[in-house]
Amino acid sequence: MAVIGKLDSSNLNGGQKLGLKYFSVAVVLFGAQVLFGLLAGLQFLYPDLLFGVLDFSVNRMVHINAMVVWLLFGFIGSSYWLLEDESGVPVVGLKLGNLGFWILTLAVVVVVLVYLLIQIGDGTHTSIWLINEGREYIEAPRWADIGIVVCVLVFFYNVAATFTKGRFTGVGGVLVLDLVALAGIYLAGMWFTPNISMDQHWWWWVIHLWVEATWEVLVGCLMAYGLMKTLGVRRKIVETWLYIEVALMFGSGILGLGHHYFWIGTPEYWFAIGGFFSALEPVPLVAMVVHAVFDAGHHKLKSTNHPALAWIIAQAFGNFFGAGVWGFMHTLPQINLYTHGTQWTASHGHFAFFGAYVTMVIAFFYIAVQKWRGNVYMSGNIAGGAWKWKWALALLHIGMLAMTMALLISGYEQSHIERAIGGSDWVAYFTAQAHPWFVQGMKWRQIGGWIFAAGFVLLVWDLLTIGKRETRPAQALVQID
Amino acid sequence: MSKEIWWASESFWRKNAIWITAGSFLVLIFLTFDTVSQITAGGKRVPGYSVINHRITYEFDESRNMQVPVIGVEEPLFGQKLTEEEAQALVTRGKLTTQAKNCMNCHTLLGNGAYYAPDLTKSWLDQSWGSKDIREQEMVDFLMNPQDRLHNGLGRRMPNLNITEEEARATIAFLKWMSSIDTNGFPANFVSIDQEN
Amino acid sequence: MIEPVALKDFFLTFFSAAMVIMTGGLYALLFAWGRIKSRPGFMQLAYLSYLGLFVSVMTLAYTANLFNTGFWTVIVVLMLIGYLLAPHAIWHLCVGTHQDELADEAASVKAFSTVVKSRGV
Repeated sequence: MAVIGKLDSSNLNGGQKLGLKYFSVAVVLFGAQVLFGLLAGLQFLYPDLLFGVLDFSVNRMVHINAMVVWLLFGFIGSSYWLLEDESGVPVVGLKLGNLGFWILTLAVVVVVLVYLLIQIGDGTHTSIWLINEGREYIEAPRWADIGIVVCVLVFFYNVAATFTKGRFTGVGGVLVLDLVALAGIYLAGMWFTPNISMDQHWWWWVIHLWVEATWEVLVGCLMAYGLMKTLGVRRKIVETWLYIEVALMFGSGILGLGHHYFWIGTPEYWFAIGGFFSALEPVPLVAMVVHAVFDAGHHKLKSTNHPALAWIIAQAFGNFFGAGVWGFMHTLPQINLYTHGTQWTASHGHFAFFGAYVTMVIAFFYIAVQKWRGNVYMSGNIAGGAWKWKWALALLHIGMLAMTMALLISGYEQSHIERAIGGSDWVAYFTAQAHPWFVQGMKWRQIGGWIFAAGFVLLVWDLLTIGKRETRPAQALVQID
Repeated sequence: MSKEIWWASESFWRKNAIWITAGSFLVLIFLTFDTVSQITAGGKRVPGYSVINHRITYEFDESRNMQVPVIGVEEPLFGQKLTEEEAQALVTRGKLTTQAKNCMNCHTLLGNGAYYAPDLTKSWLDQSWGSKDIREQEMVDFLMNPQDRLHNGLGRRMPNLNITEEEARATIAFLKWMSSIDTNGFPANFVSIDQEN
Repeated sequence: MIEPVALKDFFLTFFSAAMVIMTGGLYALLFAWGRIKSRPGFMQLAYLSYLGLFVSVMTLAYTANLFNTGFWTVIVVLMLIGYLLAPHAIWHLCVGTHQDELADEAASVKAFSTVVKSRGV
């Protein structure tokens, strides 16, 4: 433990201690995501690697599932982190919350072990109840679905009841309503139908409405709290802007579901709805840019936690490019016809998930670690040096950008060779996969992956050691409330 | 304290957030009713499961500016005509198989899934099966023993997923049925097996 | 009805769509910066960015065949007007939501601000 130095849990309230448990599992699962992503990427280059042992389908499933679950753990942990601070009272059902944590973690471990060791089953209901549901992102077998809903309900109870007992801030109100939607929408993905169009129609309710609506708003709540904590922005302003953001985000995001309903058998009017709401998509981004400049012009950027602030700024950029630019490039149906289901989607997916969500959760890791160390100084010239967090931030971004650009080039080539020139059949598919642009793209993506992995290792090292030599207290925060 | 402007006030935007969210959601629910009725098997855009008793082809529709599915003459799968219930049971078994074997984490279906292997939306109609006479048997053989069949120059292979003959036939029924869904012209420029144009 | 993009226009479509967001962001950025620093020079650059945005939207509209149908034409017009006005509207909203704070700063009233150690805040 000497390497890590002194950590002091007595600085933390009950919710924060629970939050730390969620964060710890989140970091482990983040590592699993990176590891299995590397394996899946390698299989594009060396198809015989682990063939018949850990096939691409298994690695890719663990890769994307680990991501969904670790971000969810990060969000839950962050919410528990701010809960007592925001509400002014201790978490109402802390024991229940701890129980929920252990059940959820145990369930995740069992699910992953079954993915890795059993992998597939017969074509029966038993398989999708016990082994693997076989639907992208929500592969977790049905028993685990039920477990997830129960644990999210426990979490919801804790958040709602704690705010009710203490004070219901604006952040609290939005968070509680958002969690209702988060738990409710998951139910849309929990039933079987032989009809693949119907299946994917409801599947998108979970994927899109989680990722592009409820998660965005959840991150908005975390961001609001983060800004108050790291920069001392006034509550009234932050909360008014949270409402503005919710209005813009849900206003463009809920019916933005339409851009997933172009090609799955759903009616043609979704072209119009998807197109219209895609055109609205830039508005929240513009709002964010203008407001950020406005704020920066009026406040001297004096932060109590440099790494956290850096990751919050990274979130703003990542969201703008990953979700905004990368999304809009191929969202209109006129072009999406050629990019849907190619590496374009992978490029956008990597960048957007990282830019919008990973960055925010990492910012919270740093907020948590600062307090865990005893609320030590974490502004400029931190003792022990700031190179680790800066390099981790740089490597993770360089790696992600390399992967994104490489996948973009591969996807661009696919949209030409496979879709437009070829007839989108199997011969056209493999012709495109063998094209030098595609093959090169996969190589560079792998290099980007290794860089990202190095960044991850450094990030973990930094989270474990940052501030251990620091004796100064955190810089005073000028809070105008 | 200066006077608060109503359109910049916290309460105005709180109400806005609630009304916009609720309004969008109501519109979505309204549209969902219509969409669900159109994509129910046997509905306007998704044929009933007994479509596997028929030939499925595509032709260009000028007014919609895209290829649309055409349900043709009787051409029962494996030469065996099924009732709607029997067909549904078979397609159900096939769909369960695609889920339990985790097809979607290599392939895409209707364009959604992973990108390691080809899209399956119109795999029933793919020209790689050679001719229609041998297609059904070819598909069964492939699904049951794909691991030794190198079908591309990349070295990528499909692993053996312990698919039984019964599961393979059901999967093919599911794939045939899926190829009859009206996907608004996705995937682009597809030319079916034995298609004239 | 949609008219899919022609193969020769793929690059222009992707590029112009990306530029719609980039120039839109740049326009918003320069606009806000010009306002906050009261520098008319930035305002001119901002409107130059909007010109870029205009060109990008029009390019996208041509390559994606949006002028072929009434509905998509309306979307193009809405984009052109909406993206022009959005930063203005958001700016007003910023001023409106921050007016308490601005008033405090102007009067440099210290009564509202208390220096609090972040512990326990």
